[in-house]
Amino acid sequence: MKDLTLRVFRFDPLADGEPSYETYTVRVNEGARLLHALHAIHDEIDPSLHYRYCCGSGQCGSCAVRVDGEPVLACMDEVRDGTTIEPLNLPVVRDLVTDMEPGLMEIPGLLPSGEGQVTRSEIEAIKPLRDCIECLSCVSECPAITVGHFAGPAAMRQAMRLALDPRDAADRVPEAVREGLFTCTTCQRCWEVCPKEIRIPGKAIEKLREMANRSGLTLPRHLGVAKQVERTGRSIEHTKVTFLEEAPAVIEPHGEVKATVGFFVGCMYNGRLPDTAWDMVQVMQRNGIRLVIPPEQVCCGSPLIRTGQTSSLRMLQKRNIDAFVHRGVDLVMTMCAGCGSTLKNDYETPFRVVDVTEVLTMYGIEPPGKLPLKVTYHDPCHLRRGQGISEEPRELIRMVAEEFVEMPPICCGAGGGVRSGLPEVAGALGKGRDEEIRKTGADAVISVCPFCEFHISENTGVPVKNITTLLLEGYQEKDERSGGE
Amino acid sequence: MLADDCHDCHVLVIGSGGAGIRAAIEASKYGDTILVSKTLTGKGGCTTMAEGGYNAVLRADDACSLHAEDTLSGGAYLNDPALVEVLVREAPERVADLMEWGAVFDLTDEDEIAQRPFGGQRFPRTCYAGDRTGHEIIMTLVEHLRSTDVEVLTEVAVIDLLRSDGVVTGAAGLDRRGELVTIRADSTILATGGGTRIYDISTNSASGTGDGFACAYRAGAELIDMEMVQFHPTGAVYPHDARGRLVTEAVRGEGGVLLNFPGERFMSRYDPERMELSTRDVVARAIATEVLEGRGTIHGGVYLDVTHLAPGEVEARLPIMLEQFLHFGVDIREEPMEVAPTAHHMMGGLRITPSCQTTLPGLFACGEVAGGVHGANRLGGNALADTQVFGKRAGEGAGKAKRSSAGVDDRQIDALHARLDAFPEGTADPAQLRRRLRRAMWTGAGIFRTAEDLTGALAEIREISAQHPRAAYQSNLIECCTLENMCLTASLVVRAALMRRESRGAHVRQDVETTWAPGASPYGHTYLSLEREGVETGGAGE
Repeated sequence: MKDLTLRVFRFDPLADGEPSYETYTVRVNEGARLLHALHAIHDEIDPSLHYRYCCGSGQCGSCAVRVDGEPVLACMDEVRDGTTIEPLNLPVVRDLVTDMEPGLMEIPGLLPSGEGQVTRSEIEAIKPLRDCIECLSCVSECPAITVGHFAGPAAMRQAMRLALDPRDAADRVPEAVREGLFTCTTCQRCWEVCPKEIRIPGKAIEKLREMANRSGLTLPRHLGVAKQVERTGRSIEHTKVTFLEEAPAVIEPHGEVKATVGFFVGCMYNGRLPDTAWDMVQVMQRNGIRLVIPPEQVCCGSPLIRTGQTSSLRMLQKRNIDAFVHRGVDLVMTMCAGCGSTLKNDYETPFRVVDVTEVLTMYGIEPPGKLPLKVTYHDPCHLRRGQGISEEPRELIRMVAEEFVEMPPICCGAGGGVRSGLPEVAGALGKGRDEEIRKTGADAVISVCPFCEFHISENTGVPVKNITTLLLEGYQEKDERSGGE
Repeated sequence: MLADDCHDCHVLVIGSGGAGIRAAIEASKYGDTILVSKTLTGKGGCTTMAEGGYNAVLRADDACSLHAEDTLSGGAYLNDPALVEVLVREAPERVADLMEWGAVFDLTDEDEIAQRPFGGQRFPRTCYAGDRTGHEIIMTLVEHLRSTDVEVLTEVAVIDLLRSDGVVTGAAGLDRRGELVTIRADSTILATGGGTRIYDISTNSASGTGDGFACAYRAGAELIDMEMVQFHPTGAVYPHDARGRLVTEAVRGEGGVLLNFPGERFMSRYDPERMELSTRDVVARAIATEVLEGRGTIHGGVYLDVTHLAPGEVEARLPIMLEQFLHFGVDIREEPMEVAPTAHHMMGGLRITPSCQTTLPGLFACGEVAGGVHGANRLGGNALADTQVFGKRAGEGAGKAKRSSAGVDDRQIDALHARLDAFPEGTADPAQLRRRLRRAMWTGAGIFRTAEDLTGALAEIREISAQHPRAAYQSNLIECCTLENMCLTASLVVRAALMRRESRGAHVRQDVETTWAPGASPYGHTYLSLEREGVETGGAGE
């Protein structure tokens, strides 16, 4: 037996003006789940506590709540001392009980065609989308649902499951488009919180977008992006002299060579934000990293995959892989989170792909000077969830900024083709970031993704900086200080 | 005094598990149908937790007569043969319905529904969707339900059936806030599932508190074979609070072996022919005996081992088991599970005809709340089939029943209010009473029974029932009603167990010598109602 203390959200919308939190200390058995602690509170201390549960074995999806902000199934999650228990981000009925009905009603059912024999291969294709227990954790966490017309991840998962089924008589693709298929930023938060680990963005959203593309339902603005890639090998038009136009094929470090890495530039750093890429180069030179930069590299294809326009993807993949294979590098670095996620998850590369923050922490860096700044960090979705990288950037920021404050890792709206396709949705999410940034009181926002940096800059007055720019400023500060002595 | 929230319909279905939803879908073809559920639709009940499969004769080299024989022999010939006949004949049709509605069952290379072997059956006839078969069925049903015009009242717990001149005319329930809701209906279908939550260790979801048995008994219906409680051989034993959680029979169906603490494959001493795939009653007793005789693990179980299977096979065939055990720190690809028997299924229940008509006019029953289909021991895979076969029949029977002008009897509503009004004045803690009841049932009416233990349990149940549970708030009224239902259901189990003076199927009386083979038993069903109780004599099913 052990004692533990939990802080629990309490709210009766019919009686209370405001939600409140109550703290309970209960005794539970070793290995107890959160549900057992809630039972203990209800049975031993406070019978007025409302919470929902049923099967107790992770199968019915009744008991999802948030523990310190993260959705879990109360019946499966081991209870931890000192945590805060809150309902999902859905309308609260009472305490931890939310109104799930509207969310559940968004999930479409199969319309039996009465014919059509399903085959084993079709069943196997459907299966990964079928484990859903409709706990609505994904709906609770989806940023797009809060700002645009979007039926939500659970409904999109189901739409794809139905689209794969020959027994279904309805045409699910136009329906999904009407229900907001292009509103999803593919931030992957839904996948991250899914107790059944269903990869909704990759397995449902992007696949439905491919089907939409084949039916001529791609958003007009997205068609332009695909044309641009086809014509120029780049997803955006450059506004400055590009990085690749100026960069030599190899950039040597200033001192001893600690490692040789290929640099995959990406369209944004190449054509829109080359200055940031040059900042990165200086940081690498200072830290013994030799950069190999094949000039024939092209767009990674991410904008095409996210928007379902994958017909020319194979060609891009081949050109990029060949470019680095010919240089004989076995490590390729990205500094765009989107490119990194694509190279890691949508390519089969004969070389290892790493993010710039991985390179810097892997080989270690010369300590920069401390900047008298309070900074916060925006987790790019394609870095945090797409690549599982969240600690490395924080480690680097703490080395250079005097003060570091966290903010919740929520999508800024730049991803998934939403910025180009539905700018008002992307703008609304960007404004949400601005609010969080302001709450931190930070002097600057640091990130590691050109799309996030560009988009957040447009939506906040607080300066946005790439992490390598921040490091470079740290080195400049250090040099100035030592030069002045 | 009338309830604030009154509804009216042709067919009322109580319960949103597999049987209830199937019944509602069918009933809606005949008129306005309301489905009332004490949980969110489809999330309650035990169907969604059912893992292993659905028995149906689908292959040319299998036969309905074989399925019937297996079911009767597994049920120790206490089954009602007419119900068994219906079950085996219609199970294939009902799985075809599910397939038409989009069920994602595993298929063979020939695109036919795949089947696996289950205990006590001579043919591998258990259809499955990995080890989430029940979940698959529920998702299919819930999606189909959403396309019908069935009105769904969620999170309303039915606390009593309404009657008017001996006819059931609907039900009364409490919503989440504890407000009374009444539903008047021409016909009412009870599909409330089982009730093994009356035991300390149980596989059931939180809703398995026996409310249907209790409501029906109070309304005057007759129940049969309530002593027949299936103890599933393999429930989890650790961690403590999650003990009893179902470990599917599919684990053994896929080749899992049972080992005692010294490492002996002990089933060879209990059923050398069928080994781990013997019937559930036999395997449960074998495990319980191993543990009682000191050959169990520290946690009081035995080992269930699939480490000899290829990891990929475990991942594909038993994904839920793998996931659940990983949550509790056990990787079943590399180490054995620890299991022990857990109260699982009520074979007994309302006496029904093949059309699911109970002994009360206006009341139909299907699924676990009905008795007679499974006899003294249910075969794994027959429960899911039961929900679909009898769910459809109940929906049809109730749907076709004639319209009734009978209304709600105000005196009954007044009596209900009086009953509810007493709870805020109660003095006993319902949670404590519930715990006491569960322990009493586990120790007094478990796998091995004697008249002495059963009498002790009955005395304890009566003592608990005599207490006055307290509802601290209006929303706690439901807990008090549930406790009363649990006590009543428990007493029905124990009274029936005392009446059956033989060992048969899941019911073992250590104080009585049984000299006959099950098929030659002089006893038929035990029966209990407000009017009469006893045990039928002169052979099974009469």
